[in-house]
Amino acid sequence: MKQQQEKLGIREYVCIAFLMIGMKGTEDTPSMLFSHVQNAAWMIPLLSGGLFFIPLFLLLKTLSLFEDKNLFEVIQLLLGKYIAFFISFIIFCLNTYAISLDTRTYTNIIRAYYFTTTPILVLYGILMVVCVYAAKKGIQRIGSISYILIFYVALSFFFAFWLSMKDSQFESIFPIWGPGTLELLKAGPLGIGLWGEFFILASLISFMTSFKDFRNGTWIAFGCVVIQLSLATMLFIALFDKGLSVIGYPFHVAIRYISIGEFLPNIETLFFPIWLSAAFIRFAAFLFINALIFGHLFNIKEYQYLIPSLATIYLLIGMIPETPIDVALLKEPLRYVAGPTFAAISIILWLSAWFKGEFKHAKNKKNM
Amino acid sequence: MQKIKKTCNLLLLLSMVFLLSGCWDRAELENKSYVIGLGIDRSKDEGKIKVTMLIANPEVGSVQGGGGSNEKPREIITFDAIDVITAKSTANAVISREISYELLKVIIVSEEFARDKRFLPTLYTSLHDKEIRLDTFLAVCKEKAYEYFQNNRPRLETRPHKYFQYMIEHGIDNGYIADSTLFRFIKTIERGTDLALAMYTTAEREKNPPIKGEDEYIAGQLNAFGELDDTQFIGSAVFRNGVMTQILTGQETRMVNILDDTVDIHDILINMPDPFSERQQQIAARILKTENNTFKMDMKGAKPKITITIPLKFEIMSNPSMVNYVKGGKNRQILKKHIAAHMKTTFESFLKNTQTKLKGSPFPLSRYALKYFATNQEFRDFNWEKSFLEAEITVKPDIEIIDFGKQLMPQKGGSK
Amino acid sequence: MRKKRSLIKPLKLLSKTFNTQPHFVEQSNQQEIEIKKQKISRNYKKNLETFKTLYSIPDNIDVKTREFTIASLNRQALVIYLSTMTKLAYIQTGIIDDLVENQDPDRSIPDIVSHPLVRTVEVIEDILQGINSGSAALFVDGDNKCYLFDTVEIKSRGIEPPKNEVIVKGTKEAFTEKVIDNIALIRKKIKNENLIVEFKVVSKRSRNDVFLVYEKDLVDGELLQTIKDKLESLDTDSIADLSILEQYIEERPRSLFPTILYTERPDRAASFIEEGHITLLMDNSPSCLVLPATFWSIFHSPEDHYLRTPYGNFIRLLRIIALFVALFTSSFYIAITNFHVGMIPPDLLMAIAGTRERVPFPSIIEVLMMELAFELIREAGLRVPSPIGPTIGIVGALILGQAAVQANIISPIIIIVVALSGLSSFIIIDVSFNFAIRMTRFLLILSAGFLGIYGITAVLIIGLFYLGSLKSFGTPYFAPMTPYFLSSRDLLIRHVPMKDRFRPGYLKPKDVVRRRKG
Repeated sequence: MKQQQEKLGIREYVCIAFLMIGMKGTEDTPSMLFSHVQNAAWMIPLLSGGLFFIPLFLLLKTLSLFEDKNLFEVIQLLLGKYIAFFISFIIFCLNTYAISLDTRTYTNIIRAYYFTTTPILVLYGILMVVCVYAAKKGIQRIGSISYILIFYVALSFFFAFWLSMKDSQFESIFPIWGPGTLELLKAGPLGIGLWGEFFILASLISFMTSFKDFRNGTWIAFGCVVIQLSLATMLFIALFDKGLSVIGYPFHVAIRYISIGEFLPNIETLFFPIWLSAAFIRFAAFLFINALIFGHLFNIKEYQYLIPSLATIYLLIGMIPETPIDVALLKEPLRYVAGPTFAAISIILWLSAWFKGEFKHAKNKKNM
Repeated sequence: MQKIKKTCNLLLLLSMVFLLSGCWDRAELENKSYVIGLGIDRSKDEGKIKVTMLIANPEVGSVQGGGGSNEKPREIITFDAIDVITAKSTANAVISREISYELLKVIIVSEEFARDKRFLPTLYTSLHDKEIRLDTFLAVCKEKAYEYFQNNRPRLETRPHKYFQYMIEHGIDNGYIADSTLFRFIKTIERGTDLALAMYTTAEREKNPPIKGEDEYIAGQLNAFGELDDTQFIGSAVFRNGVMTQILTGQETRMVNILDDTVDIHDILINMPDPFSERQQQIAARILKTENNTFKMDMKGAKPKITITIPLKFEIMSNPSMVNYVKGGKNRQILKKHIAAHMKTTFESFLKNTQTKLKGSPFPLSRYALKYFATNQEFRDFNWEKSFLEAEITVKPDIEIIDFGKQLMPQKGGSK
Repeated sequence: MRKKRSLIKPLKLLSKTFNTQPHFVEQSNQQEIEIKKQKISRNYKKNLETFKTLYSIPDNIDVKTREFTIASLNRQALVIYLSTMTKLAYIQTGIIDDLVENQDPDRSIPDIVSHPLVRTVEVIEDILQGINSGSAALFVDGDNKCYLFDTVEIKSRGIEPPKNEVIVKGTKEAFTEKVIDNIALIRKKIKNENLIVEFKVVSKRSRNDVFLVYEKDLVDGELLQTIKDKLESLDTDSIADLSILEQYIEERPRSLFPTILYTERPDRAASFIEEGHITLLMDNSPSCLVLPATFWSIFHSPEDHYLRTPYGNFIRLLRIIALFVALFTSSFYIAITNFHVGMIPPDLLMAIAGTRERVPFPSIIEVLMMELAFELIREAGLRVPSPIGPTIGIVGALILGQAAVQANIISPIIIIVVALSGLSSFIIIDVSFNFAIRMTRFLLILSAGFLGIYGITAVLIIGLFYLGSLKSFGTPYFAPMTPYFLSSRDLLIRHVPMKDRFRPGYLKPKDVVRRRKG
């Protein structure tokens, strides 16, 4: 199978990153942020984005030493085989946990608002089947299709935001500091968990056309997603005020409420397919990256055949919690752990590269 | 490769079987019964409510030309139930098709039940149903809800959803009734610091109602007669802590709607006392509100000071005292000052009323105070509900008269 | 694939017992093949006998032989030709007259005969090929070479306007069955010596010729070699038509979507050649194949470019909208009325519910029935004899639909939905793509009936990924949009021709620039 024939260009990469992480604003993340810091929730993406800037920067610097080697190969080179295996395994487990819960969350959303009587297994199964098919085609296809879809996804999100401006009052954002600066700081690590995916996107370097593209793409995507998440949260606070604490999935409640004039009262059916397409792409990319990690852990070259089996495992794990409340409860520890773990790993990598003198080697290479 | 293709084809064929059987959420359009209006009353049984459903008949009035049927345009059913959601299945003992709340336009609560503590929990239960949307309107009616639906027989709109749609839409445009979608209502209640409003309606006309200023009625007081339906939508019900307390007249509701920037009112036609008339005649004017109000608050000090600037544009439409507004700007100045003074006194007395009688602001005033505080805790310490009652509120109407009507010179034939 | 081996073995055994190759008896013509591989003899009589047996003269009535003596050289000569494929006058004046009237005994045959000489051949197989193509073969006693003269005249229809790809503004010429005319149509649009017309014989029994037309200094050498190899590897008795050749050479013959462009317009072919594509032409096919083809080549129409920029963009946007309407209208209707009822405006909902009350079938069955009926009417309308053609159209479409509504078999809104989706599929001009859309539409209807919008979106995403992974001779289907290649970016919106600067990068042309800046 000639999978690696073409490379991911910067356009496709930015679109994948944007769809993967920008979708967070459309599930339960804004509510979760609101439940911790109330009306200052829109600040969390910005603040934690600023906080995560440092580990990300260090990570990119470390990776720039080893052009064209993806994240896991770099971990192996810097930390030795056994520690690298251990760390990669942790990353893999965190990812597995995250994907199972996320897919289950999305299935819950679909079930709660659109298909109330259909059994969860059917909805979940179809989600997984489509994502497996998409992931098996390879990351280049995922990139291409996300490049085609990004325009419409962004357009529909902006359209939804614009329509809900009529009923939103931006004064609800005040008082500015919400529960107080102390609370905001405490929510810092929570916020870092939002950006964990940028870390694992580094495993796609070997598919990129050049490291420079990857680095520029990551910064562009990071900036866009930080702004988008913060804007989305701000808008939901403006729209729902204190009601956001009881609403689990603000995006869907919002699109059920807004309307275009009198003649078309409920337009959620227009936004739903676009949201769904973005969700498919998100999980397809996740599945692919996870299969990549697994393949690297156990030295499997043709990792794309792992994708159906991995997807089945995620489906089975995702079916374990019985109600959406269980899912939310299970997600809480993950959010606190994931972000700082990834940040810590980036810093460890950078430190080990520094101590090993890799930077000096790189400088010498450049001077030579 | 061939074998894989064969197994794939087999799987495809199997899935075709599923596809054609149609599953779970699939339901044919015409198998459902669409509830347009829901009425909630207090039931004699403790712990239960009386649910009334107004069901529309899709066949009536829908087919152009041919296919007209002799069926009634609507069906009303009332019974006792525990909550609105389980009522759906109980109703199927009488109604032939599956009940659906997809087209629910209005939830009408009797005044009696709105004053009950159980009203709010019942309303919240209704939000759990996926089919009830947040843009459903909430209204309070004077009599019992089932009586309301039975007496409400619009002459010109055969299809019930159209009637409610038009009445409520135009009522809000005119400012006579509060814009009380479930969304706004719940938002205000969740915020907790302001009073929520719901529109007020009735299908019973008061016997011998007094004649007041044209918007100073509440529903049922307007003595309109002829070949018409008795249902009236004027005024609003005030909710404090989830329980109904007072009723605002149409005029007061209009004032709230002018003060509230989030309500989308169109131009309002009112009458005002004519300053040049000795016989207390009234000028007809049209008020246009095109910009938002500005709220300035001074939170320091013993009593908070609130200054509200309301920019309004006036069109003078009648001239009963035959004053010449063209010659000499003096007349126009007098009129402008008079209007400003009139507006100021009306608004300030209304706001005083809200502080004393209603004990809260019926429009989201507390939101404008938020930006003067740094954290939520500070705002909670400030205790808006108490501070509002002691606040000094000044209203500064910013009047601009943009039109004096078509006739610039007064008629010769008018009497002075 | 490898991990499924354990499953495959027992399946293989099973299928072997069930699928046996049919037994048949073959007659061997090894002897004839041997004869054809030999060269002709110098003996006049022997040649005559050989060819009489090969051609089954006198059973074969249109194979004519003309024996005569060339007086000046005192030798006997024989001309064999197919009277139905040759112009007798050429043979008469060009060959026989010259030979008969020749006075000079020292001149050689090629100098005597004035008619253009195609080639001289010795092997019988090649001579047979020449005669079968319409050339006249001249055998002279004592000469071991045979002279083939180009005397082909085949009647075919003249150059007419295209029937399937009709446009309003632009040339109205279409290819005909005569490949010489077709090549002429292309040559007159590209008057360049680098326009190469290559010739290949692809089948064994019918010996159909395929012509490759390309511009030598633009086309990618690798692509050309791949195609030539592919044509040479075809191992079959006859390939009757270009459309059958298309099925032989395309990479995924069972795929729903076409990967080679099939067009009957020479202007389209010429514009693709100028970009760096390769076109294939065949005798007896009023069309040409253009490869490699991307989604955009198939989707765009030449009319977009002939009209002025605003109008061209309007037509293109209309076509995009028509694509979506054709694919999604029926499925969207089913999804909304069965699963997401809240989306319909209340008045419309009441109207639909009111008219559907008396209809016996569920919406899916209604829609499938009407779609099927529409397809039947469409195919029937194509083949109806012309006197009653228009009448059937009116009867079929309008009156049957109206009658069905009044008989309460279907509701009136279904007619609008199905008619809309059917008519908009006509805006797609490519024949294969049209079928692809029509068939995908059914798949979408079924998925909408299963899970509403979720089903439609799932099928849409799977379809997009499938299309994204299609490759036409190494070019991804959606190139140059993604993966990104340098091109003139004429994808969704068409720019003014002055901005059209680059050739599509995915063809790897030798010269990428169409127009230098400034």
